[in-house]
Amino acid sequence: MFRIIGQTNINFIGARKYAFVLSGALVIIGIIGFIMIVTGKANLGIDFAGGVMVTGHFDRTVTIEDLRSAVAAEFPNAEITNLKDFEKPNAFIIKTKRPETEAEGEQRLATLIKIIESSFAGNTFTLVSEHIIGPAVGETLRGDAQKAILLSLFGIVVYIWIRFDFRSGIAATIATFHDVLAVLGIFYLLGLEFDLLIITALLTLAGYSLTDTVVVFDRIRENLKKFRTKGEFANAVNSSINEVLSRTFNTSLTVLLVVGTLFFFGGEVLRYFSLALIFGVLVGTYSSIFVASPIVVEWEARRPKRFK
Amino acid sequence: MSKQNWRIILTSILVVLACFAFWHTFKLWTMSDTDKEALNERDPGALLTLQQKAIRLGLDLQGGIHVVLRVKMEELDKASREDAVERAIQIIRNRVDGLGVAEPVIQKQGNDRIIVDLPGYTDAERAEELIGQTALLEFKLLEVYDNATLILTKIDSVVHEYEKARTGTTDEDTVVAVEETEEAADSVAEGEEIDILTELMGDSAIDTADMFAFDEEVGLDENERPITSRLQMALYNNRKATNWPGFAAAKKDRELIDKWLNLPEVQSLIPIDVQFCWSTRPEIRNNREVYMLYLVKRKVQFLGKYLENIALGQDSYGGYVVNFALSGDGAAHFAQLTGANLDKPLAIVIDNKVESAPFINSKIRRRGQITMGGSASVKDARNMEIVLKAGALPAPVEIIEKNVVGATLGIDSIKKGFFSSLVGLSLVLLFIGVYYRLSGVIADVGLLFNIFFLLAVMAALGATLTMPGIAGIILTIGISVDSNILIFERIREELRTGKTVRASIDAGYTRAFVAIFDSHVTTLITAGALFLLGSGPIKGFAVTLFWGVTISLYTAYIITKQIFDIRKGYRTLSI
Repeated sequence: MFRIIGQTNINFIGARKYAFVLSGALVIIGIIGFIMIVTGKANLGIDFAGGVMVTGHFDRTVTIEDLRSAVAAEFPNAEITNLKDFEKPNAFIIKTKRPETEAEGEQRLATLIKIIESSFAGNTFTLVSEHIIGPAVGETLRGDAQKAILLSLFGIVVYIWIRFDFRSGIAATIATFHDVLAVLGIFYLLGLEFDLLIITALLTLAGYSLTDTVVVFDRIRENLKKFRTKGEFANAVNSSINEVLSRTFNTSLTVLLVVGTLFFFGGEVLRYFSLALIFGVLVGTYSSIFVASPIVVEWEARRPKRFK
Repeated sequence: MSKQNWRIILTSILVVLACFAFWHTFKLWTMSDTDKEALNERDPGALLTLQQKAIRLGLDLQGGIHVVLRVKMEELDKASREDAVERAIQIIRNRVDGLGVAEPVIQKQGNDRIIVDLPGYTDAERAEELIGQTALLEFKLLEVYDNATLILTKIDSVVHEYEKARTGTTDEDTVVAVEETEEAADSVAEGEEIDILTELMGDSAIDTADMFAFDEEVGLDENERPITSRLQMALYNNRKATNWPGFAAAKKDRELIDKWLNLPEVQSLIPIDVQFCWSTRPEIRNNREVYMLYLVKRKVQFLGKYLENIALGQDSYGGYVVNFALSGDGAAHFAQLTGANLDKPLAIVIDNKVESAPFINSKIRRRGQITMGGSASVKDARNMEIVLKAGALPAPVEIIEKNVVGATLGIDSIKKGFFSSLVGLSLVLLFIGVYYRLSGVIADVGLLFNIFFLLAVMAALGATLTMPGIAGIILTIGISVDSNILIFERIREELRTGKTVRASIDAGYTRAFVAIFDSHVTTLITAGALFLLGSGPIKGFAVTLFWGVTISLYTAYIITKQIFDIRKGYRTLSI
């Protein structure tokens, strides 16, 4: 039998005070990040903020600086990325956000393309893709994304409430919110861009983190049938966490293998999506051990549940 | 029969179904680009059908155009706002149809928006022309039948020579195609009756078998009539017993005929004052989808902008009619036009496509009525109404969102997505195989089943695979493997308590089930929320995640258990 993690008996529950401090800090950063997104002050992708984006490649070498100074007069806030892993060299993505009116998008795109094409004499720019997103479209998308998050979290609370009990439902939801907010906070701190794909990643990691939590809760439920005496609740929870630790670790490792591959080989489109998931898996694993179960323990300590 | 046998039968059935669903995708994906070109050259319809039946690739993977339009309601008065969006959609649909896009999507979003997706189509300028331009509705006369057949016969011989030069000999496919057409022709024998009613008479009808054009009279072998053998005479005026050049062509033949008609040597045979125009939409004739091909005189007889008060109605026989009135300037002109061309068809042409070519039954002054053919549905009539309205009252649109993804970027993405999926999958298979030994290999088999079934379901549903969709598949891998990890860890625990191998396997599966089930349901809830509220690529992600997770419950739990159950007694277990 090949094992990475054997039978353990780590006192996870005992460390909950430290965990609460760390988690509290993560959540606060996350909430700040969330407020910034809602108010439109965070670094939003063009699908949320509205704007134009051009992808293309040049025949001969051009540096990001050359390109930036070429467009700077008309588009001082243009963001330029070098697409290093594109099959052709000298490929770039040029983005500018938020045209003032919807009709302006078309014009801005045309101007941008014209500037890029005409700035480098004798060096042809081949357009690969172009995008325009009106600000109203961005707002709708943002609203829909927020609704999707709330709807899925609500559905999950109800489900866990039905399957376990109310406090587990609440604890699982807190843990899930914690994970989503933590990753959101990390992204905000790193100044990374929020787009639709990141929201998708956040929802996916919510699903993953919940799976982890549910697996632990399931084991707690099973173990509580064995240890019915009062006062052993914390112990039962702790040994449950230890029992499923090997599974938690292996699953997280598998998912990390997959999202890690996506991160390294998935190309520009999926880079931040997979990065969010990598953070998500790490935070989700942490929260199923240090957040969800300790909350249930605290709750039990204050308002003990009667066992039938 | 035992439970075990039933499960094996069920799995076998699922595998057969999955192979069936996945077959077209497999064929398309394994086809090289040159093969695709060759097929397209031979029979453009076949490649399109194959693409439609295979898993569709999103814009991000194959390139294409996604546009969101807003109808500028503020430029329209209150009355014409009502179905402005429908009018604009109808016009765009007319134009997009025939571009050769496998799965165009044109749909209304909200109150004033229209989404247009043209996967695989990357000519942005042409597309914007198609989408943004104002509709042009014109009335034109048709060329007389005898001239049309004369022209077509000449074209036939030129095309025949062209094909002979191109292929060397008459190839098999042509012969087969001709035979099919002949068969279909026989089945058209009992035609539809036409209502000859009010001012203008509606859609024409095929009447009797002896009406088929071009037969014996030309005295040529079928192979020597590549175009006419694919056409059936379909516009016949019962009252006057005359033929008009409106021909039905099977939907699948349209592209081929178009290609021939556009050859320079064919174009030079067509007189300057006439042109071939297709109908706007395919229609069902004798259970076949056909497009109508008309030979239209180029001269514009009347403009749609003079039409007013266009409304759908029913006549006293219960058939559908479209009523219209003519504005002051237009009325006299229209009366003159209809008076001079009684019993001739008048083609209603929108953006160079023929909406319909009803016969003129009487001189029309202020009010007119178009009677739809006896078999026309309310939908056909409504389409006609919308087209007339769109021509009379164009709905101005502006582009508020546009994504043009070049084919090269798409190919780049799909390569990366495919490559990273493959690497990720291999790493997982390897890890599980090494960690759980033989049991891990069983889990790997379950995982491969999962991915295969997922692709098959996507093909069967006609779902679109996008880059986030690929991410969804990759996440499915994680969830599927998690189920097996849960089970195996449980089996190990049971083994440690000293149970027999058989009892440990059974207990492991039973006890892990609750956790597996709950975790699957919670992921399904997330996928559901994303599907309901997400758009475009997010929806694609939700769809793959949803099916991946659902299938994983079967493949990771039931199929792997089946494999374990093949052997009754275990002395040791490789886990």
